[in-house]
Amino acid sequence: MLTKDLLRVTRRGGGYRPQFTDEGDNRLAARVLGVYQGHVDETRADLQAALTSLEREADDFKLVRGFASLLDREATFETRAAVDPERTRETVFGVAAERNVVTADERDAALAAAAERLGVDAASVDESLYADREQRQVLVAFDSRWTPDELRRQYDLSLAQTALFDATEVRVLTNDPKAFVSAVKRLRLMYEIRKTPDGREVVVTGPDALFRTSRRYGTRFARLLRTLVKTSDWRLEATVDDRGTERTLELDASDLSVPGTDPLAEPAFDSGVEADFATRFRSLDLDWTLVREPEPLESGAHVVIPDFSFDYDHAPFRVFFEIMGFWTPEYVEKKLSRLADLEDVELLVAVDESLGVGEDLEALDYRAIPYTGTVRLKDVRDALRRYEDDLVAESAASLPEDLRPGADVTTFAALAEEYGVSEDAVEGKSFPEHERVGRTLVRPTVLDALEGRVEAEMPLSEAEEVLAEEGITEASALLSRLGYRVEWDGLSGGVLRTK
Amino acid sequence: MTRLSFEEGTVRLTDPPADLDLAWVERDPRTKTARAPGHRYADLRDALDAAGVEYEDGVLDAPALDLTTSYELRDYQQAALDAWRENGDRGVLELPTGSGKTVVAIAAIAALDTPTLVVVPTIDLLDQWRRELEAEFDCDLGQFGGGVQEFGPLTVSTYDSAYLRADEVGDRFGLVVFDEVHHLGGEGYRDIARLLAAPARMGLTATFERPDGAHEVVADLVGPLVYDVSVDDLAGEHLAAYDIKRVTVSLTDEEREEYEAAQGTFTDYLASSNLQLRSGSDYQKLVMRSGNDPRAREALLAKQRARDVMMHADAKVDELEAILDRHREDRVIVFTASTDLVYRLSERFLIPAITHETGASERRTILRRFRDGTYSRVVAANVLDEGVDVPDANVGVVLSGSGSEREFTQRLGRVLRPKGTTADEDTPPEDVAATGGATARADVTPTQDDLPATRAGRAVLYEVVTEETAEERVAARRR
Repeated sequence: MLTKDLLRVTRRGGGYRPQFTDEGDNRLAARVLGVYQGHVDETRADLQAALTSLEREADDFKLVRGFASLLDREATFETRAAVDPERTRETVFGVAAERNVVTADERDAALAAAAERLGVDAASVDESLYADREQRQVLVAFDSRWTPDELRRQYDLSLAQTALFDATEVRVLTNDPKAFVSAVKRLRLMYEIRKTPDGREVVVTGPDALFRTSRRYGTRFARLLRTLVKTSDWRLEATVDDRGTERTLELDASDLSVPGTDPLAEPAFDSGVEADFATRFRSLDLDWTLVREPEPLESGAHVVIPDFSFDYDHAPFRVFFEIMGFWTPEYVEKKLSRLADLEDVELLVAVDESLGVGEDLEALDYRAIPYTGTVRLKDVRDALRRYEDDLVAESAASLPEDLRPGADVTTFAALAEEYGVSEDAVEGKSFPEHERVGRTLVRPTVLDALEGRVEAEMPLSEAEEVLAEEGITEASALLSRLGYRVEWDGLSGGVLRTK
Repeated sequence: MTRLSFEEGTVRLTDPPADLDLAWVERDPRTKTARAPGHRYADLRDALDAAGVEYEDGVLDAPALDLTTSYELRDYQQAALDAWRENGDRGVLELPTGSGKTVVAIAAIAALDTPTLVVVPTIDLLDQWRRELEAEFDCDLGQFGGGVQEFGPLTVSTYDSAYLRADEVGDRFGLVVFDEVHHLGGEGYRDIARLLAAPARMGLTATFERPDGAHEVVADLVGPLVYDVSVDDLAGEHLAAYDIKRVTVSLTDEEREEYEAAQGTFTDYLASSNLQLRSGSDYQKLVMRSGNDPRAREALLAKQRARDVMMHADAKVDELEAILDRHREDRVIVFTASTDLVYRLSERFLIPAITHETGASERRTILRRFRDGTYSRVVAANVLDEGVDVPDANVGVVLSGSGSEREFTQRLGRVLRPKGTTADEDTPPEDVAATGGATARADVTPTQDDLPATRAGRAVLYEVVTEETAEERVAARRR
């Protein structure tokens, strides 16, 4: 984090956007690093003078200072004095008070007397008097762990954190909601779950936010950002109180990275049962995509983050999936009570048979899938199949019974995509203007025309070209419909024969 | 049953009565409860009691103490305490520096026998309050600020630390005392009072008026002004009278040249960019502009250089030499706003310095030696501005003031101790004042100078300004 006076944001278009660095700033970063490296054994005042002249050359003095404030943490300063300065002051001020120093001559005499007591010469006393002032301390070591490029990235992260200082509320979508929510709790903040078109976001505020928009939680929001950037996929939106004007700050994973770390693509698994299930499920080719800890769900004043969700590939439909392993009775009880308060969602619960709570779950209207040892894929598939049937029926019902596609030639796959449904949903329809050939739909006029252009003894490759001109890729089914079979010639090609 | 508990600066109402209708109680969808700001706790209790609601109160974690004080309150101190108690243990007391504000607060703490948080603006005041509370009460002391974060039934905190910790410890105190309460008007510091649940609240100040009208906010959070007494009411009786001397010095030719050059760069920029500086907000605009306009930044830096020239004028150092020479027998405290100037003076005259850079223990040592007479002079930056107890300086010198009225009077207050009164470390300043006005000293040094040395029983304050500069106008505005 930087101090607020070093914040650089643009307010273009009413936004609040940190002015992140780009590769062009590497040179400046390198120069600031160089100034520190070149000032070992010099005083802080000299170092600062060098930085100030660099500030004047740079387009933006705040960027120079921002880099410097990060590098300052890597620098070691020490007091160098002939006599300990505090002891020097005690002696000098004591002597001066006895003699009531006013004039320059009196000063010299007092210094000489103090020097005698301290056993050094007067000039050393003069120099030691305030050698411990910050400005006069000496840079004794500078070990930066960053390259210019890393310094830049560290700066960007610090800058984004600083931009959050004036935030009054943050809203977050993340692929690791569990880690995020636990960071929220650790920082003594509060959260709510809000549904958005992109998923459930976590809205974070502080207790006092109920009564007034407050900037007092800004530094805690800044710390939350540290948790977020450790994951690979997140988006943050913050409401910022910019001197009385409300602005929106938007950040996502493409803006920031932590130097020297790779963000975690997926949250770590809590148990072997979960990890094992995920691996096995993903090896199947189903119409469902498995997502780890997908999003937080509201459960009364609490939050529940299911282990997985199954996202249907052909429609926006999500089934949550929780694996309840064997835990303490208290855990099970708490889990059940959370599930009882859960917002209205589709949820499957795989439950360790030894828990004996299947009935409790069914009573809550959740589908229980009992298991011992490992969750059986077949059971899960069966449970999903039930939704699939409904989804297919539902999307089929939403389409008219007779479909009249505009194209002369089309396929079930293309139609399904056009209507945004699964192929199963269009397959059962009738097509008054088209003839169905395999999984392709062809207008009779096209078939008539093809009949004239395709003939027996034609090489297969030639016939395929003719069909391709009409947009037909499913050659064998169509040729069969036209009354031909293919006599294969080795592996490379064949010739059409009348059936 | 309804239950009240403290949660991070707020009072949480679990199962609130359905018909509860208070403007400052809100439903909280996050926790499915109701909630009120911490400072409404006392009001909330009153409202629930009045409505005959039964409730369980788990807000405060502040077990009663058993405290006694040996202070005899003076008439006006007793009157101030009575007024505060009659107002339901809430309100602000306006008492001049040196009149014993601390004693009134100590009496209140003893009367309420409840864990108390004292909030103060500076580390020096923090040390001072600690000493006073330690001397008066047999009780563990806590401290937030100055590198220490330790809770005690009696805790002294800086405003900054209190701001950071109010939501966390807001349930541990039954009484909160805001010393120099006008600070609470600041936007951020208000949160301290808002987030604490302490039902009893006392504000202390020498100057309640804030130019921005924020004292109304203080009245809402701490209580109204319930008692005030002015310097004039007490002068001669409890406080010393004082004289002010204004000394004007000139810039050297070299300084003048440097000043004009820098000032010229600044005014040229204003003229070329059509900017006029009529108010603080205009200046703020310029500061903002300097963020991405290098010329604006150059102009600001030039303005700073001009100010530095003015503040550090060599003639001021010469003038101070003359003043110190004139007051060789007196106890002198020198103020200036510039830290660098403090160190320059310290090195030149070999006078101990106190600034924000001075460590806590060294600062204590210096103040102790100043009190016990080992040192008769000290030079300080604005860290000593408020309420710090420097019991028996009788000469004050202000070099380059900033022109705000409050700062001026409070600096003045620092030297309101006439020569000849005595105090040692263990005696609070109030007793110094109690010895009353003039006690002539036999050994007052006669001088040939037409500026007389301090008359017995009167303190003297020098204000040294640089001629024909903005600074002089600042000084003139005060008159």
